[in-house]
Amino acid sequence: MKVFEHIPHIDFMKYKGIALAISWGIILACFLWIHPWKGADAHVKLGMQFTGGIDMMVAFKGDVHQDVLRSALYNGGVQDAGVVAYTDKPGTSVFSIKVKAKRGQDEKDSSAQIKQITDALKKMDASAASDHRSDLNTESVGVMLDTWIKSNPMGYPGDETALRMAYEPWVTKVTKAREQFSPMSSYSQLPQDLPAPLRASLEKDYRLGTLSILKNESFSPSISGEWTWKTLKAVFWALGAILVYVVFRFTLSFSVGGIVALIHDILMALGLFVLFGFEFSVPVVASFLILIGYSMADTIVVFDRIRENSHKPEYRRVDIAKLVNDSINQTLSRTILTSLSVLFVAFCLLVWGGHALRDLSFPIFIGVITGTYSSIFIASPVVVYWDHWFGGQEKIKQHAHPRA
Amino acid sequence: MTKRSLWRLTVTLLICGMCAYFFIPLSQVRLGLDLKGGVHFELEVQGHEALEADLRDTRDRLQDKLREKGFPDALLKVDGSVLKAEGVPADRRPEAEVILKPFYGYDTSFTQTGFNLTQKAVYQKSLKDDANKRALQIIENRINQFGVAEPEITATGAEGNRIVVELPGVGDAERERIKGLLTTPGRLEQRLVAKLDPTQGRGFPSREKALEFFKGQLPNNTELLPEPFSDRDLRAQGKDPAIARKPGEQEPVKSWVLVEEKVYVDGADINKADPSVDPTTDSPQINYTLNKKGADDFATLSGIAADEQRLIAIVLDRKIVSTLSCREKIIGGSVRITGHFTKADTEDFALKLKSGAMRASMKFLEERAMGPSLGADSIHSGVRAALIGFITIIAFMVFYYKWSGVNAIVALTVNIIVMLGLMGSFHAVITLPGIAGFALTIGMAVDANILIFERIREEIGNGKSIPGAIQMGFDKVFWTIVDSHVTQLFAAMLLFIFGTGPVKGFAVTLTVGVCASLFTSIYISRFIYDWILERHPGIKTLSI
Repeated sequence: MKVFEHIPHIDFMKYKGIALAISWGIILACFLWIHPWKGADAHVKLGMQFTGGIDMMVAFKGDVHQDVLRSALYNGGVQDAGVVAYTDKPGTSVFSIKVKAKRGQDEKDSSAQIKQITDALKKMDASAASDHRSDLNTESVGVMLDTWIKSNPMGYPGDETALRMAYEPWVTKVTKAREQFSPMSSYSQLPQDLPAPLRASLEKDYRLGTLSILKNESFSPSISGEWTWKTLKAVFWALGAILVYVVFRFTLSFSVGGIVALIHDILMALGLFVLFGFEFSVPVVASFLILIGYSMADTIVVFDRIRENSHKPEYRRVDIAKLVNDSINQTLSRTILTSLSVLFVAFCLLVWGGHALRDLSFPIFIGVITGTYSSIFIASPVVVYWDHWFGGQEKIKQHAHPRA
Repeated sequence: MTKRSLWRLTVTLLICGMCAYFFIPLSQVRLGLDLKGGVHFELEVQGHEALEADLRDTRDRLQDKLREKGFPDALLKVDGSVLKAEGVPADRRPEAEVILKPFYGYDTSFTQTGFNLTQKAVYQKSLKDDANKRALQIIENRINQFGVAEPEITATGAEGNRIVVELPGVGDAERERIKGLLTTPGRLEQRLVAKLDPTQGRGFPSREKALEFFKGQLPNNTELLPEPFSDRDLRAQGKDPAIARKPGEQEPVKSWVLVEEKVYVDGADINKADPSVDPTTDSPQINYTLNKKGADDFATLSGIAADEQRLIAIVLDRKIVSTLSCREKIIGGSVRITGHFTKADTEDFALKLKSGAMRASMKFLEERAMGPSLGADSIHSGVRAALIGFITIIAFMVFYYKWSGVNAIVALTVNIIVMLGLMGSFHAVITLPGIAGFALTIGMAVDANILIFERIREEIGNGKSIPGAIQMGFDKVFWTIVDSHVTQLFAAMLLFIFGTGPVKGFAVTLTVGVCASLFTSIYISRFIYDWILERHPGIKTLSI
């Protein structure tokens, strides 16, 4: 089975002008829509790592509407919280709460803010009003352990240290269980092998609240500028290293074509990423670096064939456009196949990977598509234009490695 | 089987065996905090505090020295980053120079009536480095004594002034306490409360009031330090001291007390520190014993206090935790501190005293806490997505390339074994992005096989014999594969250099994946074809 029964003869280079215009047009349109020069008003969603602030994830038992949570936070004194609802587990409502740090905010402020948020969340727990026992789902491990050491429900012998050793494994088991169910909704979800006296003491001393805090992150604003700078530096170094490598392995015209295609892919993925409302985080930036690597790898397959063909006698006297065109056609089936394999993995991660992986796989998904497209319609035309203008065809041959 | 094939088979099996050996103890591959749950802190050592502390320390030492060597009127003062000395007349400069000789970290400039000392840049750097090293060591110490399993504490940052602390399995509840342990220097000082006009009482209600009293200029060699309410004060006010202060809440300040700047005994001389309970009032307290030097210094201090009827202030991290009065010189060096403490406070306090003092406090840059359930969900969906992708790719390869597809699957399987093995041998941490990286590298590894197979098909189409086509296919594609892998390696390595935490895990997976894919596509696939050619020398068709 084959993608093409015979080598296709599509005149890609005929469309090079249109292709360049359209894709850079899309990028420009995205850029205009995002208007990054407007600073805070730009349509860019930056993660807390870049802006500084608090990033929490909480789960409630049962159905809680995000407006309810929003107003609870507002009443609790947290006015500028961003709330997003996730619905991935039936029976629980999962929310992400984000509060941007103010300029000059320090550690104490964010500690106080976290406390404000958790207090507001705890107030939402309806069972707290009628039941004054502590909440097993949010109780601190240390307090749980201390309570058992004091009351010693199992009647173990020995001093405090011995009791601590004896009760510690049980506390760990209970916390594991509550984290597994996050939040636990009935005492029957306690570990099965928990001894009866311990179970009884938990049932007596604790109620089951409806709240569970899954994630709680805070970033100092002072680190955020550094993250942005670090990230940009990584991208520029990657581009530079690839540029040098391609100059070394091929010629300058290829290198320029490759880098233009790379920048095109990055900008396109960036534009669409923001357009679709995804949020930047550090792992997302990592995925942009992968995009760089992948997009270049794809371009190299075409470039390699151009270089190989340039040695052949039948291409000695032809125009560079034909050389490039034929090379693209010859490698078209493998370009499509290799892209599809990675595209499919990226697609799986995007659809089934959960929301944490969704942000990360989107740039790769877009990058694989544009990477394939840009190898043909961006990188190759640039090589053709460059050689038309600077007459580099001879150079391609000089630098090419002699083959067996 | 020819010698060459046998040799290749041995190499392959050896590599697989080694990788399996590294991977099989599954504990070797650790889950990152984003998957396992726990807390992650990034702290910055406040190096300038170490410089200030050294300045104060030098002032005390130099003051004593000058008095000893016949400069009774010499007066030292810290002014910003300069140590100013007055009362050293210009004609006695040579004498002063001799005294200053041991303070080689400082630049000296003489003035009409004294001299100024400033820290040399080299000295400042060494002070900061020392503060960083010490902070790392003390944090390790405190975390170990607190009892967290498998803590990961590393120094990072360009100047080495960042410390990343990763504590798996630590919940939200312990977080505040650990934060306190990490940030406060734990610097204990015993000083004298300054002599005051008796009408004023012991302290001032606020800093402003105190400055007003002294008309904006504190007496020489003294400073104002806050004193929080003690247990006894609270009881007197009818409040229950047993109600624990909530973590993060500001302590109310009872008064601002004027104390002498000179430190008689500091935390370095503490032998042993333990939390305990006052048997009569049942309130938590701390007992500590001093070493020989500390005991002697304390005897001197208590002697002065008894003679002049002054109070001794116990200062922890620039806050007065307790004041003592002495009726006579105390010998033996056993001290008990009572104050407004909770049980956890005294435990942490004792732990800090035992682990020693940091030269500077820490600032939190980043703080993350993850519940393990979120990680479990992520693992679940991440692995599911990766598996769907993997199985579909396998199905596609067999459907599209027939038996050659099976070749690719063998290569892919070896690829996975090698990847896991390499990650196991690096003690790599698997993070959520790492799982994505794993899935993606498998997709990319298949790419290499597709390139080879397409080339072989092309060569067969050009009329080459099967062995010739295979030979040509691998040879021609070799550099394409190397080039494309190298560019990916660049990206992966830069991620490793610039990334932290989960991103680093991602970078490791990718780097390992690229290397493994290079090996399996070029070596393993080729070996399988060669083996088939060897078994069927006159082969006319290839299932591709």
